[in-house]
Amino acid sequence: MQNKKRALIFGSNKYAIEIANSVQSIYDIEFFVTDEKEEIEFSGRYVKNIFDLSDDWYNVEKFEDTENTIVFCVLDEEAENVFLAISLRSNFKDLVLVAIAANKESVSKLKMAGVNKVIPIEQTTAEIISDIIHNPIASKVLHGILYEKSDLKLAQIEVENAEMFDGEFPADIDWSRYQGVVVLSIMHKDLTTEFIYSSKAKRTPLKNGDMIIVVGYEADIAEFEKQIGRRKYVNWSDWSW
Amino acid sequence: MQHFFSRLLISLAYRLRSSQSYQKRRRFFYNLLENDNYKYKKYFDFFMIFLIFVSVFVLIREVHHHVNDALMFVNNYVISFIFLVEYLLRLWVNGSVTKIIIEQDEHDAMLGREFQLKKALSKIVKMKLSYMAQPKAIVDLLAIMPFFHELRLLRLFVLFRVFKLFRYTKSFTGLVSVLASKKFEFFTLFLFTSIVIFVSSVLIYVIEGNNPNSNIQNFFSAIYWSVVTLSTVGFGDITPVSEEGRFVTIFIIISGVGVLSFFTSLIVSAFNERLDEFKEAKTIENIAKLKRFYLICGYSSIAKEVIKEYKFRNKAIVVIDSDFGRVEEAKKEGVTALHLKPGSMESYERLHVDFKKQVHVVLCLQQDDVENVYTALTIRSLDKHVRILSLLMNDINRKKLQFAGVNDIIYPQELIGMITKELVGQPVAFEAIHALRSENSSVKIDEIIITEAMAQNYPYVGDLGNKRFRIVLLGVYKKRGERFWFNPIDSTLLEAGDILLVIGYMPFIKEFEKHLMSRDEHAK
Repeated sequence: MQNKKRALIFGSNKYAIEIANSVQSIYDIEFFVTDEKEEIEFSGRYVKNIFDLSDDWYNVEKFEDTENTIVFCVLDEEAENVFLAISLRSNFKDLVLVAIAANKESVSKLKMAGVNKVIPIEQTTAEIISDIIHNPIASKVLHGILYEKSDLKLAQIEVENAEMFDGEFPADIDWSRYQGVVVLSIMHKDLTTEFIYSSKAKRTPLKNGDMIIVVGYEADIAEFEKQIGRRKYVNWSDWSW
Repeated sequence: MQHFFSRLLISLAYRLRSSQSYQKRRRFFYNLLENDNYKYKKYFDFFMIFLIFVSVFVLIREVHHHVNDALMFVNNYVISFIFLVEYLLRLWVNGSVTKIIIEQDEHDAMLGREFQLKKALSKIVKMKLSYMAQPKAIVDLLAIMPFFHELRLLRLFVLFRVFKLFRYTKSFTGLVSVLASKKFEFFTLFLFTSIVIFVSSVLIYVIEGNNPNSNIQNFFSAIYWSVVTLSTVGFGDITPVSEEGRFVTIFIIISGVGVLSFFTSLIVSAFNERLDEFKEAKTIENIAKLKRFYLICGYSSIAKEVIKEYKFRNKAIVVIDSDFGRVEEAKKEGVTALHLKPGSMESYERLHVDFKKQVHVVLCLQQDDVENVYTALTIRSLDKHVRILSLLMNDINRKKLQFAGVNDIIYPQELIGMITKELVGQPVAFEAIHALRSENSSVKIDEIIITEAMAQNYPYVGDLGNKRFRIVLLGVYKKRGERFWFNPIDSTLLEAGDILLVIGYMPFIKEFEKHLMSRDEHAK
């Protein structure tokens, strides 16, 4: 039986707890806190480690398996979060780092510190508020697809039979022949993503290795997979922003 | 006889109070004459200002030229008559006679005695006289006087029509209230000035009154000289001729400089103190003119981000916050913001906000659940139907917000958890969808509401032709059944009220929407 991947969460605030609750089905969770006394909700369920940013606290073993480890930087202080990210990146080049940031200013600093993905809290919340008000239906559908138990799924399919398109451009392909799925975008090997009707998608033919982002019901996606290629679970270390 | 008259009066009062047409007319005239927020009042004011200028033009023209008889007739009779009607209407709408009679009747009935006609009439007369004694009402009355133009002197009463201008200019009312706030200071200055004028007039008269070379031969000349000198105007028609007289002049000139400086500083400080109030009044006036806006309670960091999104969409926003510093910050960012407590009823009364007509959505974005619950309750008590969205900072308060009547609750912690889960599970797909939500992306997901005309022109999904516009049709939200149909087949029937969920470049979506609305194009 394959071991679960590990998520190392730095911080014990409400965001950290929420992240732990959300990813616990995929990851084994370990918390890193600065104070022994820090209470963590459901602390009985999670491992708690103590660390001190100003000290040489690295337990190298915990971070060595970069393939199967993901680190969440969720410290309350923005400066400490940046410092933590820099400390980890400077020691572990391939470690996948995800951080939350209060505002845009912190986003750019965290990105510079080598964080793979930064989630801006205020901006994301504002976008969702705006969506709920202006596009309530779209917001509900997208929310369902992304976060809730909806029958509709998003999938990323790697093209393996590009020859079947006979050099056709993605924008010109009649995707309706693949009943049940809606093709949203194409991600090329160079990791650039294009909307299905973009100018580039009108000029660049599909190649093996390109990824197609589709929305559809599970059965239809499986059928689509059979014809086009295979579902791809992207390795974080391949992914950069 | 008195009894009969009393009964007649009471029955008339009750009839008028219950008469909808009477009340409607009275309300209309009240709004037209007295309510600054009434949209037609400004047209009435402009009309009256125009009449005033006509009167003044006639008065000036008359000095050296013959004025056309028709114009004279308009000036003396028509305009005067309009002013008379206006005066009577104001007298009517200021204070309710029926209310006094009914109150008196109810009061007397409660005490088991006869209706006190005299008491009621005396209250009515007192109320109307108190209105008539107001300076504005006196000016109104004097402005009607030129009607009796045969009396030559009364022609000058046309000038009172100019004073009427003040009634129609709100800024003058503001000026008066500013000056009134410094009543004590102005009174002190007035006393000081009067004493200086009196003392210097007496001195100069005593010193120069008997000097044959001096122009000051009576006490009035002395007062005139004092006023002219104190005001630092100094015409030079009267000048002191003796050494002592010149000494008095030095004293009065120095006093004059002080008086003028004090006077100027008083006005400036009065305006400075009330400037914020004026600005707020102006902002409230501008808000009243907005047809639809988003009301944001609390200028928090999330509110700033939301405002950025709204500005992008060119939506009108009004922010209220109890913290003065945050309000100032919002103003610097070009946001319409007011220093008002979001949880206070008084705030919305001051705003004169009509939730039903004006407010699209209320967003409670204070980073404090207590404040958000309180604000939501206040707004819900003012309007049962307005949509309220609120931030939730601690999940244990979710039910409280729901109980307070919040329609949509946003809990950032939960959002971040969900986002993280999706992000680590399917990063590419997540980014693809997230890009659709981002304002920086050129590709958007949008909603198009199917109108009656669209449903007639394009009855089926297959008729839409979205691919021509490079648009992905994600699905149709059917109004009937309130269900979302993902990737509908071409034969799906479209009905008015259905919503198309489309993805594409925004200009193409706009073009597509235009195409759907254009009946002719489809006909071709």
